[in-house]
Amino acid sequence: MTAEPVLAIRGLRKQFVIHAIGRQVPALRGVDLTVGAGEHVALMGPSGAGKSTLLKCVWRSCLPSAGEIWLRRRDGGLVDLAAADDPAVIEIRRHDIAYVSQFLRPDCRRSVLEVVGRAAIRRGLEPAGAAATAAAALRRVRLEEELWATQPAVLSGGEQQRVNLAAGTLCPPRLLLLDEPVAALDSGHRETVFELIAGLRETGVAVLSVFHDAEAVRALADRVVIVRDGRVAAEGPPDGTLDRAAA
Amino acid sequence: MADCALQVTGLSKRFGRVLGCADVGFEAAAGEALGIIGESGSGKTTVLRCLAGDVAPDAGRALLRRGTEAFDLFTVDGPERRALRVATVSIVYQNPADGLNLRISAGGNVAERLIAAGWRNFGKIRARVSELLARVDVPLDRMDDPAGAFSGGMLQRVQLAKAVANNPALLLLDEPTTGLDAAIAAGVLDLIRDLLEESGITALVVSHDMTVISMLTSRAVVLRAGRMVEAGLTDQLMEDPQDAYSQQLVAAARGAL
Repeated sequence: MTAEPVLAIRGLRKQFVIHAIGRQVPALRGVDLTVGAGEHVALMGPSGAGKSTLLKCVWRSCLPSAGEIWLRRRDGGLVDLAAADDPAVIEIRRHDIAYVSQFLRPDCRRSVLEVVGRAAIRRGLEPAGAAATAAAALRRVRLEEELWATQPAVLSGGEQQRVNLAAGTLCPPRLLLLDEPVAALDSGHRETVFELIAGLRETGVAVLSVFHDAEAVRALADRVVIVRDGRVAAEGPPDGTLDRAAA
Repeated sequence: MADCALQVTGLSKRFGRVLGCADVGFEAAAGEALGIIGESGSGKTTVLRCLAGDVAPDAGRALLRRGTEAFDLFTVDGPERRALRVATVSIVYQNPADGLNLRISAGGNVAERLIAAGWRNFGKIRARVSELLARVDVPLDRMDDPAGAFSGGMLQRVQLAKAVANNPALLLLDEPTTGLDAAIAAGVLDLIRDLLEESGITALVVSHDMTVISMLTSRAVVLRAGRMVEAGLTDQLMEDPQDAYSQQLVAAARGAL
């Protein structure tokens, strides 16, 4: 494992300013966190602790209020996502980061195969190979081929989640952000996705995830970070840290 | 394939005492679709009409880069400006009557654009028109029907065919689906999305409809009363708008998103 982390978050703060009610809602109160290549760091903690907000700040769908989010890109360059301009973020999202969220809705009125195929093209694959890559990704998440021609909106929550996973993992990114990737899946499909995530980690992908499920964290994570009230409350290997947190 | 970047700075326009827009500036990278969000009276249409050449701005620059050349749209005059409308900057209007001649055929509307660009061979023109109309899903057996006989959704498709006929560097879309029935609008929106992705054209999409902006654009700016109040990544504007007015707009749309 390389010494330099892929992701280094320093002093990250986020307040949501809600003008209609004239209030500031603090979500993150100073978070430090690193993730190395081939390392899986899982965020756990009570609902509202700021875990999803943390991922969104890295993806830049939320704007950090203060702090730094350093990403070491594929080409070795270092960029602070908290300060990067929008065009730079678009470029980074295309090549270096993938984000799979339970809240992301796949393109409506496109078939499953098209949705994943378009994701492949956006990542830089040639259109000619995109369909084959998409098919391989859908097989990896064990989505039945007879569903590939349907529109995602018609599928069950778990099937939609697997479509999102296929689209997000078809080309191994530098950093993979996962927000509750198995929340809607039955145990058989959970195992499949665990294998997928473990496989990506083995190829050197840095993984930062949110799981509410301690079993998933024990199975997958190298380190668990307990987030409480916008701060890191505890950090360490799953065994030990989870037990201490439960106590 | 268009290779273009657009950089607008200090765009201002008054209509007598009424402010159209003031000090509007933004950039669109080559192949990017940029959204301009605003309600009625926000200045969004004024911005588009200045870029299309329908209206002359009071101040500002609009640098259009294509490959190694770059020029300011606002300093181009007369015949050169008309030439730009034919092959470089195309606009799709909210009201198709503004962009089409309803008295001539659908095919004729598209052909006019080709002829203005120098096409002369009747057979080739007809073939290209057929290809374009097929691409926008206008049935070929309606090619020779007068445009005035078409429905709103079909007219938007004909406008799109005409707008992309000469592979322009910049495509301007003014509320492209507003006023259409929901199912028809969805079809036109899907078509626009596919066209933008396939052609890699640089586009500005003006809309008050957050669904349209979310579907078509990666970055957007918010206008209010002629001025810019916020700019950002489209998903960030929807998820985490900073400005009070942007927050109102997003909250109002939240049921639909």
